Amino acid sequence: MVLNIGPQHPSTHGVLRLKLTVDGERVTACEPIIGYMHRGAEKLFEVRDYRQILVLANRHDWLSAFANELGVALAVERLMGIEVPERATWLRTGMAELNRVLNHLMFLGSYPLEIGAITPVFYAFREREKLQAVMEEAAGGRMHFMFNRVGGIKEEVPAGWTRRALETIAEVRAGMKDIAQLIRHNDIFLARTKGIGVLTAEAAAGYGASGPVARASGLDFDLRRDEPYLAYGELDVPVVTRTAGDCHARFECLLEQVYVSLDLAEQCLSKVDTLTGPVNTRLPKVVKAPEGHTYAWTESPLGVNGYYLVSRGEKTPWRLKLRTASYANVQALSTLLPGCLIADLVAILGSMFFVVGDIDK
Amino acid sequence: MPEDSAKSTPGKGLLQGLGVTLKTMLKPAHTEQYPDVQPKLPPRTRGVIALQEENCTSCMLCARECPDWCIYIDSHKETVEVPGAARPRQKNVLDRFAIDFSLCMYCGICIEVCPFDALYWSPEFEYAEHDIRNLLHEKDHLGQWMATVPPPPAHDPNGEPAKEQTAAEKKR
Repeated sequence: MVLNIGPQHPSTHGVLRLKLTVDGERVTACEPIIGYMHRGAEKLFEVRDYRQILVLANRHDWLSAFANELGVALAVERLMGIEVPERATWLRTGMAELNRVLNHLMFLGSYPLEIGAITPVFYAFREREKLQAVMEEAAGGRMHFMFNRVGGIKEEVPAGWTRRALETIAEVRAGMKDIAQLIRHNDIFLARTKGIGVLTAEAAAGYGASGPVARASGLDFDLRRDEPYLAYGELDVPVVTRTAGDCHARFECLLEQVYVSLDLAEQCLSKVDTLTGPVNTRLPKVVKAPEGHTYAWTESPLGVNGYYLVSRGEKTPWRLKLRTASYANVQALSTLLPGCLIADLVAILGSMFFVVGDIDK
Repeated sequence: MPEDSAKSTPGKGLLQGLGVTLKTMLKPAHTEQYPDVQPKLPPRTRGVIALQEENCTSCMLCARECPDWCIYIDSHKETVEVPGAARPRQKNVLDRFAIDFSLCMYCGICIEVCPFDALYWSPEFEYAEHDIRNLLHEKDHLGQWMATVPPPPAHDPNGEPAKEQTAAEKKR
């Protein structure tokens, strides 16, 4: 029997459709059908100048807006040969890590919710709210920060912001203990996730999966450590890995990455306090990237995001190709789901941590 | 962090979780009493765009730079006779300035590019409408938001001071 899950299904975080072939309760084949949320972002990039691209790039993965802006900004800066002031780099790194925490908290709350545990989402959102307030104070937005600019960040942070941000980081770290205690060793949660949806390291690598999903399968790869950008080269980035590759391992990876990110953000913001100087560079009135091409990739919260920028010297790019983490990660579903029970389907789907906007672009 | 220690005794994880719930139950609630108590929003919050009409020269920069072209500007030229001047001057008169908030992406580019500081962010957010067409705010409506624009926050002393501050100090 062919069974359609979605496009409208609460566990798909948007509009993802899975065409399942089922034999009784068991899934025999799965074909993810994507494109229901295609907004033509890459085509729109070709008719927008570089500042306007940041607005759009912001939105393909709405849970990691800062990381998305950053990738575009880094690509353009590299092509134009702009050196970003040190203070801006450290601020960017710190805020990128805070954004990672925001993203992970969302999934730490929504994943248990999808498999029937309602309470953790309230704890996760309580912590999210605190961090969103911190980001809002500096950037003015709670989700779509629009704080990066080519050559730095939009403006200096308000006086006392780093102190308040550091206080909030400490608060969130304390609050994380609650979330971990609430669900991590919960017997029902373990029964639903241990040994379910095992993704092997080979399959993960074969599909180009990255981020927490791949690291839970033992794929020890993190661009922050392996190909440092921003200020990561000067930081010691511990890479959280697991070997089990099941839903629980993916969840644990996410959980521990939050602690890592909070530590990194703390280090960055403490460093910012020791730096003085501007946070952006003076740009020509019309920003034009010189003819050429470059590929910038960043460790976005959900995995590797790549930005292939081809410029013909115009004020708009000739082509800006996005390589998004979610797109590669959901591809693995076609090997992950066959053989599993329908009852486990939502548990596996939720543990792949994707944003549909990031798949369809 | 202790690994798999809770797995040994069945039900321990559940009890741990219930412990957290109990702890939270004894603490005051986080609920914000929103319609009764207004949220405290930072001055940089991007809520609505306010227009200082007198500053606008109808240069169209904002309308051109807007990523989804949701700003509509109409203007005409008027000749002004200035007593004592050799020639009459040309002046742009703003007829219409409207922002369609049903299209706006709240990126703030219009405010950033405005060379004469005619546009400002206000944290005001309570302007939901029953009819989407009413989200098109004309210049009177945009002007009313000016009263809600807060003063910008002071910059971090380690960084560079705000543009406005440097400009003001130069004048002195």
